[in-house]
Formats: sequence, structure tokens, C-alpha cells
Amino acid sequence: MAFKKPSFPQLPWRSRASIARDVDTELSFHLEMRVAELTAQGLAADAARQRAREEFGDLEFTRAYCRKVDEQTNRATRASDGFAEWRQDARYALRTLRRSPGFAAVSLITLALAIGANTSIFSVARAVLLKPLPYGSPESLVALFESWPGKTTDHMPLSPANFADYQGQQTTFAGVAAFQGMGSVTWQSESGDPQSVDALAVAPNLFHVLQVGALHGRTFAPGDEKEGNNLKVVISYGLWQRALGGDVASVGHHITLNGRPYDLIGVMPPGFSLGWNEELWLPLDMSDALADAVRSRRQHYVHAIARLKTGTTLDRARADLLVIAHRLEAQYPDANTGRISVLIPLHEFMEGHLRSALLLLQGAAAMVLLIACANLANLTLSRTMGRRREMALRAALGAGRGRLVRQLLTESILLALFGGAIGVALAVMATRTLLALNPEVLPAPFSAGVDARVVVFSALLSIATGVLFGLIPAIDAARANLNDSLKEGGRSSSGGHAGERMRRGLVVVQVGLAVMLLVGAGLLIRSFDELTRVRIGFDPDHVLTAGFRAAGARYDSAVAVNRLYDGLLADLSRAPGVVAVGAVSSLPTRGSVFTSLRIEGQPVDETRLPDLGYVSVLGDYFNALHIPLKAGRLFDASDLPNGPSNVIINEAAERAFFPRGGAVGHRIRIGPNPKGDWMTIVGVVGDVRTEALDVPAKPTMFANHRHEAWERSMSIVIRTTSNPASALSNLRRAAKDADASLALRDVKTLEDIVGSSLASRRFALALASSFAAVALLLAAVGIYGVLAYMVTTRTREFGVRLALGATARSVLMLVVRQGIGWSLFGLVLGVAGALAGGRLLGGMLFGVTPLDVSTYVSVVIALLIVAGVACIVPAARATRVDPLTSMRAE
Amino acid sequence: MTGRPVTRTPSELLQGTVDILILRALAWEAMHGYAISRWLDARSDGVLMVDGAALYQALHRLEQRKWVSPSWGLSENNRKAKFYTLTAAGRTQLRAESAVWRSYADAVSKVLRPT
Repeated sequence: MAFKKPSFPQLPWRSRASIARDVDTELSFHLEMRVAELTAQGLAADAARQRAREEFGDLEFTRAYCRKVDEQTNRATRASDGFAEWRQDARYALRTLRRSPGFAAVSLITLALAIGANTSIFSVARAVLLKPLPYGSPESLVALFESWPGKTTDHMPLSPANFADYQGQQTTFAGVAAFQGMGSVTWQSESGDPQSVDALAVAPNLFHVLQVGALHGRTFAPGDEKEGNNLKVVISYGLWQRALGGDVASVGHHITLNGRPYDLIGVMPPGFSLGWNEELWLPLDMSDALADAVRSRRQHYVHAIARLKTGTTLDRARADLLVIAHRLEAQYPDANTGRISVLIPLHEFMEGHLRSALLLLQGAAAMVLLIACANLANLTLSRTMGRRREMALRAALGAGRGRLVRQLLTESILLALFGGAIGVALAVMATRTLLALNPEVLPAPFSAGVDARVVVFSALLSIATGVLFGLIPAIDAARANLNDSLKEGGRSSSGGHAGERMRRGLVVVQVGLAVMLLVGAGLLIRSFDELTRVRIGFDPDHVLTAGFRAAGARYDSAVAVNRLYDGLLADLSRAPGVVAVGAVSSLPTRGSVFTSLRIEGQPVDETRLPDLGYVSVLGDYFNALHIPLKAGRLFDASDLPNGPSNVIINEAAERAFFPRGGAVGHRIRIGPNPKGDWMTIVGVVGDVRTEALDVPAKPTMFANHRHEAWERSMSIVIRTTSNPASALSNLRRAAKDADASLALRDVKTLEDIVGSSLASRRFALALASSFAAVALLLAAVGIYGVLAYMVTTRTREFGVRLALGATARSVLMLVVRQGIGWSLFGLVLGVAGALAGGRLLGGMLFGVTPLDVSTYVSVVIALLIVAGVACIVPAARATRVDPLTSMRAE
Repeated sequence: MTGRPVTRTPSELLQGTVDILILRALAWEAMHGYAISRWLDARSDGVLMVDGAALYQALHRLEQRKWVSPSWGLSENNRKAKFYTLTAAGRTQLRAESAVWRSYADAVSKVLRPT
């Protein structure tokens, strides 16, 4: 059999059509050969053709079969070739990167920081904004509130009577459940000190509405709240682990709370919380409150969560509740005028202000990443300029332009993936540490962490980053003219005008983005400053606070409660280093309860009684906090527990109800009962921010706790001469002496409490500022890098200039002018961008407008200084060029 | 042609048998499909006549397994034809399969031998 050497090279990858053609060619060749042979044996052409077909067998099937097999083969080849090529590229890229460790290190650090920051923020943002709440079908859960009279956007807890009416009359919910905060309860473990834990009283159906079951034991059943049954309690997984060692046998046994035995009926799964930092749940019994509906319709303390019926929209539920609200308004005008129902998705309520903060931070992190990209693009651009000869050589050896681009992109993507991996590791640590240090930032039902999805996000982000900073340099390098590059010999080219323009453009973009971030951070810093400097009305310095609750059956009378607190305060006031000691029902910035107000001698509109904040105080409270007395007197020894009722009001109350001043001596009556006792105003004190630092003081009255001793949970405040922590041991001893079965809780300095009211703001501020700092640093590095590179490539020119008599100063200015020129251009763009984007910050700002001039001025000055420093170093190098050496070097 | 032709479709003639015959045909030199069929015919004195359908299906299958590698060339009559070369993997396969086949054939003939 004769045969000739194959001479048509076969393409590695073929199209469907060419595969089909090849199979046809092959098969028809076979048939024609056979026909030729048969004809040679003497058969007629027609007969030979027919014979050949018969001998062949199923021609059509074979044709189709071969095509199909070939297509599969082709696909497999293609994939394995692509992979092999990619591996080759990757290996080559690794080798090149190892050869320039400086470049690799700088890039990796930049990438790790930028991608790490994005990963960190994303892991939190995902937990808060994207992850479903840890309840069954959380999307149909809503939170139910009432509005402050006339303010439809407010979220005010419901009154028990209104809640009962909403619950009874609504038609759009599958279930509604009430709960209320209980503050703390004292857990008396069998061994060891009593400890204080936060508790919620929840309607027995709450767990059912949330569709969450117990991990061990059971949740509440209807009837569990009835007095007479054994008291029952459900505890959190965390408390179960901490206090009971995770002992399953403990479920069903007694535990002691506030001195009374409770049946521990269940343990909730890990992570379950309603966001109140609560660790145990008691059944809520509203029957007492409902029995006195006239009174309880005016007291707003019930929170409610409802589940929409399947197929019901939020709008329909809102409309349904509004109808009920208006009905209640008509029915109970004295309590409900102007109050309407407010319904918001539970997730929206829980994420609260976190949403805007997180979006802001994510945006800031994205900008840092963009700046990093610009920086790396510049770095890569400079580097590929130096590699022009290599590229030209590879092109000459047959590498296509696409292949070269792919090669360079592989390098940048690999770099970005390595940087991203380091970044994710950093993010894991940073997220864990930051959240552990700032537990107030993230409410309990949200759990942030770097999980598989976050890692996928970072991997995709890294690849995108690699493409973003690698594509322009790669295309630029692949465009290199083969001839020119090789001709230039050993000297690396300066990259021509296109590359130069590109690099300047990138610096301008960097500076612009940095300016925008700086302005944003600057505005946040200014508003934080405003917030902390506002007249908060008291002096948080040198004050130690602790919660102390008179819990248990022993304290069922005002006499017993008074004896406890009086003894404790007297004991403490004798301790060394203590200036003043007092107690208060709720510390400043921690909110207060509200009641209604009637003033003697003023006309009363029963449908619109004004609201008044109610705080009860004990001992030397006002002096301990340095709250100034404006008129009248403070409480003193003459105010006896069974004497006449005297009260103190704040200036806001005087302004609101006694516009002409002179409130002292007037008598007021509080609460819903129109026949209640008259109370005499004996003093006016300065305004204190009772709700939160950024909420102005509301009209508030201070009752003498010795007289109105129904509040069992007071916060002790101790002003000390030195470090407030020095009073701690005395406080612990005094508390033990007063009643060893009671626990101190939340022992903190007042500064910490004020600070935690600002915790999430401070956290966002710290992150935003560090992003801005990184941005500024990167921009400086960018300016420096491009100028330094320019000086290197123009060494000869500077040498000639100096040789021709140019002064060092003029050369210096030549370089500096260029650098400052780009910075100014970037600055203008950045300021324009900041002006346009500043409005997005609106909700985060306090006391500062987004167009705050002083912020802009400081940013401009800061940037110019940094840019100047970044210019000086390369410029100084340009002046030191030795004309002779520089020209000999060519 | 000599002897009685045994024309078999792949379903009857074991697929593996066609494969090993093709690999054997390519052991010495690259060939196109028609040459392979002539070689098999001549080598088996016309007893093993593998039809075109079975032959080409097997060839493309072997190509997919990378036991043979294709290339286009010119036939003896100057026509474009697809040549197949045995690859290293194909040679290994041929050696292994031949051994198996030989012992199988020995066993069968031992059983069929008149006692």
C-alpha cells in the first residue's frame, strides 16, 4: 500500500461545519477508492457504485456518528488546550513576578488592603441587609407601632389597650404578638454570685408568630402567662451555655429569678434574639393592664410583631390598621387623637440606621479599591514599558496580540487573586476583632462573618480588579511596535505620548477620588465633633454608674425600697474620693417614659393633653452629674416620703408650659387620672439629653423617688475626685452590704454610656477616616510614582538642561509644576464630585451641611501639602542629575 | 478475495475486536481508512471483512480516546485523505489488548478442541 507523508497541518480547533466537511471528505474518499477498484475489476460504473454502498453498511448513521464523536473530541481538546495555555501563562507570570519582588510586594499590600476592606464591609453589609432574619419566613413579618400624635413617621410603642383592639379587629395578619422590655432580672445560680441578665416579657404566641421553635424543651403555650400556674421561663442558648453549662437535663427544672422559682421550660437555638440583648423570655400577662383600660390606653410600652396572612400585601395591612386607628381615635379621643398605626417590615426596622451607614462605607471602600486600581494600573504601565522589548520579542516569535494581552492579564489577575486571598484573611481577623470590640454596632439577630458567599464575592472582586488595572497596560503593551522596540536596543522606551497621557490621567483620577473620600470623612468628623460638643447638659467625666434593682418579694413596699436605696447611697457617700452620690430611673441618653400633663389654672383640652417625660431621682443626682439648678431648689431632707409631692422640671418644660417663666410654685397633675394628686414644682434644672445625644431635650419632670418609690430599678451614679474606677470596690462592697442577693449590673463610666450612644457613629467614622487616609496615601504614592518614573526617563533631558546652564531651582520647579498641575486638576474634579455626591451623606450628618466650607478648605490644603511632599523627592533627584554621566549612559 | 467473507456489523463483531484490528493495522505505518480496510482484508485472507460503517465509527472513537491521531495528507492517487497514526497510548493499548485477546483465543480453542 503506497502512502504519502501527510502534508496538510490540521488546525487544533475546528468549527462544526468544518468537522462535517471533513467527515464527508473522508467517507466519500473511501467510497470512491472502492468504486475505482471495483471498476478496475471490470464492473460497470453504476454497479460498482451500488456495490460499494452496499458493502459500506449504514452510511448515514456512520456520517452522523463520526460528526458527533469529532465534535466531542474537538470540545475536549479545546478545553484542555485552553487550560494548558493558561497554566503556561500562569507559570510564566509567577516567574516574572518573582523576578520583581518590589513590584509584587507593593501591589500585594495595596490589593490586600483594598480588597480586605471591601470584604470586611461586605461581610457586615450582607449580614444586615441581605441575610434573612433568623425567623421562619421572615419576609412576611412586620413591626407594629403607633405614631407620636401628629408625627406619622415616628415609631412609638403601643398602649396595651390599643394593642388589644388592633389584635382583635385586624383582618390581615396570620398572627400578632406583643412583647415588652423588662430591663434586667437577677439570676441566682445555685453556686456563685447573682448575675443580672436582660429579659423580655413576650406574649405566649410570639414564638409561634416568629415560627421559631425551642432547641430543647418547648416555647410558651397559651395559658403559660396566667398567674397561678407555675412561673415559666425560656432562656437563650448563650445563657444556657454560660450559666448551666449547656446541660440538657436542666430543662424542666427550677431556676431562681429575682428570688422566685421559675420552671425552665425551654432553650432557644443559638442566635435567636429580638435585638434587645435579651437572654431570657418570660410570659407576658396583659390582663391587669387591660382590666384598667382607661389608664393603660395612655401608657405606651408594648412592642408588637405581626405576620402577614399569605397573599396579603403590606399596603393592604396598613390600610386595614388605619381604619382601626381612626375608629379608636373617634372612640377614645383623649388618648388617641392624632395617633395612627405605623407598620414597617421587621427587617427594615431592625436594620434601622445601619443601612445608610453600611451603604456609605461600602461606597467608600469601593472608592479605595478604585484608587488602588488606578495606582496599580500606573505601576503596571511603567513596568510593561520596561518590558516592551520582551513583548516585542515574544510577538516576533509568533505570539499573537491577543495572546500577549492574555499573558499580561493573567499576571495582573493572579496578582489580584493573591492580594485578594491575603485581603480575605485580613478581613476575617478585622471583622471578628472590630465586632468583638464594638458589640453595640451590630444588633444581635444579625451575625456577620466571612462565609463561602463572602469569599466568592471577594474572588470575583479580585478578578475584576485584576482585569481593571491590568487591561489598559496590557493592551498598551501589546500594541507596541515591534520594529521600534527592538531598534531601541538595550534602552527601555519612555512609552511615548499615549502611555504618558494615560499615566497622568490615572493620577488625576486618583487624586479626584481621594478628594471625594477626604471630604466625606471630613464632614463625618465635623458632625461627630458637633455631636460630642453639643450641650449635652451634664458632665460625664469622673462618674461611675451601675444598675441596681430592688428585686424580689422583700421589696413589695415603698418603705422597703426606700430603706434599701437610702442605705446604699448613705454608705457610698461616706466612701473616700466620692464627691456626690445619687440614683436615677434612667440615665441620660437612655430614654425615658412619658406621661400626660395637666397644669393647675391652665385650661385643659382633654383630647390633647401634652406629653411629659418622667424620670425619678434619688439623693444628690443633679450635683453628681453637674446638672445646673436654674430656679427654685433641689430635693432635700425636707421632702419626706409621706409629705407633699414636690417635683422638679427641666427648662424645656418651663419653656413649653410656662412661656413667661416662673414655673416654680405652680402645681401640676400627671397621668390619665383627672383627679390625681397635685404636685408642686419646686425647682427648674438645665436641659439634659435624655433620649439620645442627637435628640434635643424634651419637656421632662423629675419626681422624688423617695416619694414615688414604685420604680424598682435604679441606676446609681457616683461622682469621684479621681478615676471613677477607683470607686468600684466600694460600690461592690456597699451593694453587698445593702443586700447580698441583689446584683449590680452594667457597671460603666458615664463616658462609656454616652460613648455607646455614639458607638455606631464612631465606628463608621473610624472606618471612613481610615479609608480616606489610605486613599490619600495611595494618591501620594501615585503622584510620586509617576513623577519618579518621569524623572528617570528624562534623565538625559535634565542633564542637557543643567549642562546648558539651567539652575537646579528651575529644574526642580519644572518637575514640581507638573506634579502639582495634575494634582490641581484632580482636586477640581474631586471637589466637583464631592459637591455632587455630598447629598448622599445628608442623613449621616449632624450640625454640618454637606457643603461645609471649612471641610472643603482643609481637604484642599491637606491634599496640596501631601502632593507637594510627593513631588519634592523626585524633583530633588532631577536636580542632582550629573550632566556628564547622564549623557554617557545613553 | 479468498475464503468466505465474514461481514459483521459492530453489534455482532465485538467492538473491541474492530478496535484492536485497527490498532494492529496502524502498528507499522500511518494509513487512511480505505488502506486499513484493504490491509485487514489481505491480512485475514478475506475472512475478517470489517465493513466501512464499523471501520469509520471505530476510527473516530479511537481518535477521541487519543489512541490514534489524525492528519490530512495525499493518497497514492493524489487525493486528499485522512491518515491515522498510532499514538504512544495507542501502542500501549494494542500491546495490552493483544495479550488479552491471545489468551482468550487460546482458551476458546482449547475448549473447542475435539477430545
